[in-house]
Amino acid sequence: MNMRLIGTLVGATILITLASLWMGQQAYSWFPPEASAESKLIDDLFSFLTALGTFIFLGVTGMLAYSVLFYRAGRYDYSDGPPIEGNVTLEIVWTAIPLALVIWIAAYSYQVYEQMDVRGPMELVHLHMPETMEAAYAEPMEMASLPSAKIAVQAKQWAWIFHYPSENGEDITSTELHLPVDHRIKLALTSDDVLHGFYVPAFRLKQDIIPNKTIDFEFTPTRIGTYRLRDSQYSGTYFAAMQADVVVESPADYQSWLADAAGRVPSPAYNRASSEYNRAAEQTVVRGWETVPPASPPVVNYAPKQAPASPPA
Amino acid sequence: MANISVEELSGNRAQPYPGAPDNWKRFFTFSTDHKVIGIQYIVTSFVFFLIGGLFAMIIRGELITPEANLVDRTIYNAMFTMHGSVMLFLWSFPVLVGLANYLVPLMIGARDMAFPRLNAAAFWMVPVVGLLMMSSFFVPGGPSQSGWWAYPPVSLQNPTGNLINGQVLWLLAVAISGVSSIMGAVNFVTTIFKMRAPGMTFFRMPAFVWTVLAAQLIQLFGLPALTAGAVMLLLDIVAGTSFFRPENGGNPILYQHFFWFYSHPAVYVLALPVFGIFSEIFPVYARKPLFGYRVVAVSSLIITGLSAIVWVHHMYASGTPGWMRMLFMFTTMSISVPTGIKIFAWTATVFRGKLRLDTPMLFALAGVVNFVFAGITGIMLGSVPVDIHVNNTYFVVGHFHYVVYGTVVFGIYAALYHWFPKMTGRMYYEGLGKVHFWLTWLGTTLNFLPMHPVGLMGMPRRVASYDPEFAFWNVLASLGGFLLGLSTLPFILNMVSSWIQGEKAGNNPWRAIGLEWLISSPPPVENFEQLPIVIAEPYGYGKDEPLVSNLAELSESPG
Amino acid sequence: MTSEASIANQVESSIVEEHNEEANSKFGFWVFLLSESVIFLSFFAGYIVYKTSSTDWLPPGVEGLDTHDPAINTVVLISSSFVIYVAERFLHDKKLWGFRVFLLTTLLMGSYFLYGQAVEWQGLEFGLTSGLYGATFYLLTGFHGLHVLTGVLLQTIMFFRSFIPGNYDKSSFGIDATSLFWHFVDVIWIILYGLIYVWQ
Ligand code: HEA
Ligand code: HEA
Ligand code: CUA
Ligand SMILES: [Cu+2]
Repeated sequence: MNMRLIGTLVGATILITLASLWMGQQAYSWFPPEASAESKLIDDLFSFLTALGTFIFLGVTGMLAYSVLFYRAGRYDYSDGPPIEGNVTLEIVWTAIPLALVIWIAAYSYQVYEQMDVRGPMELVHLHMPETMEAAYAEPMEMASLPSAKIAVQAKQWAWIFHYPSENGEDITSTELHLPVDHRIKLALTSDDVLHGFYVPAFRLKQDIIPNKTIDFEFTPTRIGTYRLRDSQYSGTYFAAMQADVVVESPADYQSWLADAAGRVPSPAYNRASSEYNRAAEQTVVRGWETVPPASPPVVNYAPKQAPASPPA
Repeated sequence: MANISVEELSGNRAQPYPGAPDNWKRFFTFSTDHKVIGIQYIVTSFVFFLIGGLFAMIIRGELITPEANLVDRTIYNAMFTMHGSVMLFLWSFPVLVGLANYLVPLMIGARDMAFPRLNAAAFWMVPVVGLLMMSSFFVPGGPSQSGWWAYPPVSLQNPTGNLINGQVLWLLAVAISGVSSIMGAVNFVTTIFKMRAPGMTFFRMPAFVWTVLAAQLIQLFGLPALTAGAVMLLLDIVAGTSFFRPENGGNPILYQHFFWFYSHPAVYVLALPVFGIFSEIFPVYARKPLFGYRVVAVSSLIITGLSAIVWVHHMYASGTPGWMRMLFMFTTMSISVPTGIKIFAWTATVFRGKLRLDTPMLFALAGVVNFVFAGITGIMLGSVPVDIHVNNTYFVVGHFHYVVYGTVVFGIYAALYHWFPKMTGRMYYEGLGKVHFWLTWLGTTLNFLPMHPVGLMGMPRRVASYDPEFAFWNVLASLGGFLLGLSTLPFILNMVSSWIQGEKAGNNPWRAIGLEWLISSPPPVENFEQLPIVIAEPYGYGKDEPLVSNLAELSESPG
Repeated sequence: MTSEASIANQVESSIVEEHNEEANSKFGFWVFLLSESVIFLSFFAGYIVYKTSSTDWLPPGVEGLDTHDPAINTVVLISSSFVIYVAERFLHDKKLWGFRVFLLTTLLMGSYFLYGQAVEWQGLEFGLTSGLYGATFYLLTGFHGLHVLTGVLLQTIMFFRSFIPGNYDKSSFGIDATSLFWHFVDVIWIILYGLIYVWQ
């Protein structure tokens, strides 16, 4: 009897382990393509958590299912089960194991976070004078090896504007974020009005943007392609429409894009929020409530005239 | 002296049994009977559950297609704001307070709560909160559209320029709800500390009472922080201060700290009593004592303690420095230890018992399974690198609906079925109960499981429109949502018709152990003829020991 | 089996209902005050964050706060805590007139504090909307002031109630709570004074 129980348990554990490992592998397929160095780290971590989570989930539900399937009371059986009130050893074990697991998960996550080194905001309590853009671009001519120069990301209700420093001190602006592949990218995130969130699912990276504060953000794109940038921190009426394309290209393409953009005369770019807002005002369909009006379409050097077109993930 | 009052009471038996259908008018009075108030809470909040659910139906209707084509964006934004607010402040909190109100005095052998009038006053604030929230639909500019977090600066933007606007009404409603909850919490804590029957030591209290205590302690330390944040936000809107206005040097992140210092622990205000419900139900339907009762009881207080030091996990991607992210990652994950203790204890309680799969048991079992799933996604969210990707996506929405619906609402349903015979004296229809369970289970899975993959793909929450690549999962979720809407119908039908004409249930249809099952159904106004003298721990299944030493004196007419 | 005697004991003690009710109210009031103190703690925390993180804390043209008059106010408020304690002792000894005199003194001292606060507010060259400095100052002193006002009103009620014959025979909960509340208001003020006036 007891041998059989142990045999069943061992068998079940092996099965559950295999299922968990399989789920861990599946986890990779749930994500958009891995387009940054960081995404690889995060996907590995998530796969590990999925495998561990599957194991815990199947373990607990398996035990419950076992009782539900094999220990139902008969229709007229009004007797009670065995009056077992507890078991100290067992209770210590199931406190210690989760504790060990937690330390393991947290340590692994910590390590991944260290490797990502995305910077992000510093202490809440020592807000500096807002670091002005000029100050950040004081060193001239960093442009040639651009990856080390900061690209300023300006978020507002409801548009993204990207500022690239240039030789003549005047920013080259765009509503599309172009990045050279395999270079460490340094962004300076700012907001004109409310909280926004810089989020590129293919990079697995996200950072809230806080008005009156400049947040440094770093990462390394590793895959050429076009990806979607979404606002991730709810920012009011047209929040959902605040999207842009992120174009990761070879450094050569990047340089020529930048040169091309620098030569263009600024013009208004496509802006979904403001076009929707204006159309809504013309139409007589039932409107919603009054809203904060969107800013007029940003006037930038590189001004795409159509909606972001990054392919599905 | 006691004898006289018995005579008087039996003379007055026109209204002795709160809960009996012939007496429904009582529920519209300022009654101070905790049982009446309990049912008042439950029924009122259920109405708001339907209203909050209706908003969810509109949300799911909008999201069944990628374009924002069903309602205007402002309306969509108002919908999720009010959906979240109603579901939390007007459904989950009050319904659990209602259950606790009904059960705690009975379970600890008291005649009422410590402060019956305060109790009634706290209840009557709930409809006021509801009216305020609903009235915001009729002011210019419409209801609050800043999400249930009301993060500034969005919540400070006031496009109509009116002083009375949706956001202000929302803040007032939340403040009143806070006052009501504090009153309730003072009452519960005092009742549990001071009103226990003779012999009812702390380690003889049912686990549900422990969890109510743990949850109400959270209200006491947490709500004031939210109140502080709300007062400052209100001043910013109406009095021109700049606490959270960045353009004048204000600090919007500070608001987030105030908000989550309460609103994270608040999720355990919901979860803890539901853990208590599970701990009550498994022993009854598995006919075994609650495994490791004392540890399960104490783990609730550990959760209370830990819940106060994890709030920043809602702000990993916000203006949070790296060291803070790491620190709160460790504390957040440590919550799985006391929670795991409970999960394993329930599993061991059910293990090789004599299971009876009545509706309450089905809901409880499925609730635990859903909770393990949600807990695991919770741990994933707790891991900073993962959260940096999935924060503010549908992965989070999936996580928390698995808890707030899959666990909390399941637990509430389990409790309502389990104690329905006690509250009304009548039995519900088991068949309808099972139909309700399966519809709810299917709807929950179909609705909330797809939110996880679509979140991992990068679909943000709080969007009225989304990219076509997310459509497949959203169609599934919407169908599941509508199924959930439908699933409430058999429940309502069951409750109403059983209350009116269900079979008489008797005092203890489940053969459960507990003070509340020793008295008549529904219990008389004074609960116990004579206060019970408790001589055993709860959950003595399979042990054949008496729970009280004065069984015969508890109620005047046993049977 | 548990000892029958101890149970019998407990039964009896629980039958003494009136005794219990007062104990309940006291317990409940303590719980409430502990909870209430968290609001103040939150405001204090906010104040500290603002003060340490703001780049221009004082509004233009504002030097800081004068500490002389508020110090007098502080002394008055704090000593009133002792006065109300004496009043309580008198009540305990059933000396109603002594009780009334000292309660009235407390009440007047509290009112003086409010008056002093009003005078101070009048004389300040910054307002609620003068940056974070003004906002936090008025928020903290105003919220505390509301509590002082509540305390004074409670004392007034207790004062008049003392003329109802036999009012305090059954239970002195009303005055116990008023007094406890008053001590609470005092303790809060001490912290507040330290934060706002001493730490400039
Ligand atoms: C009742 C409600 C409830 C409950 C109980 C929980 C439980 C948990 N939640 Fe959840 N949560 C919410 C309701 C709830 N949550 C809500 C409403 C939100 C979103 C609010 C909003 O943004 O609008 C949210 C959001 C939320 C976030 C923020 C995500 C984001 O916005 O980016 C995080 C991050 O850490 C998180 C984590 C957790 C964790 C770690 C638990 C833990 O308590 C889970 C512990 C349980 C287990 C782990 C399972 C059982 C344990 C075992 C079987 C032992 C072995 C297990 C291991 C060793 C892992 N939750
Ligand atoms: C206890 C809490 C609770 C509960 C029970 C629910 C229940 C449901 N929620 Fe939840 N939800 C939240 C709490 C809750 N929610 C919170 C806190 C948020 C975050 C808000 C924010 O971001 O600020 C949220 C957000 C949220 C979103 C995300 C919106 C967005 O980010 O854009 C979605 C999307 O699908 C959703 C769906 C649902 C659905 C389909 C249900 C279903 O379970 C509902 C089932 C429906 C019913 C049970 C009622 C059926 C009624 C009828 C059929 C009509 C009859 C009624 C009348 C005539 C009055 N909810
Ligand atoms: Cu902190 Cu720069
Ligand atoms: Cu949380």
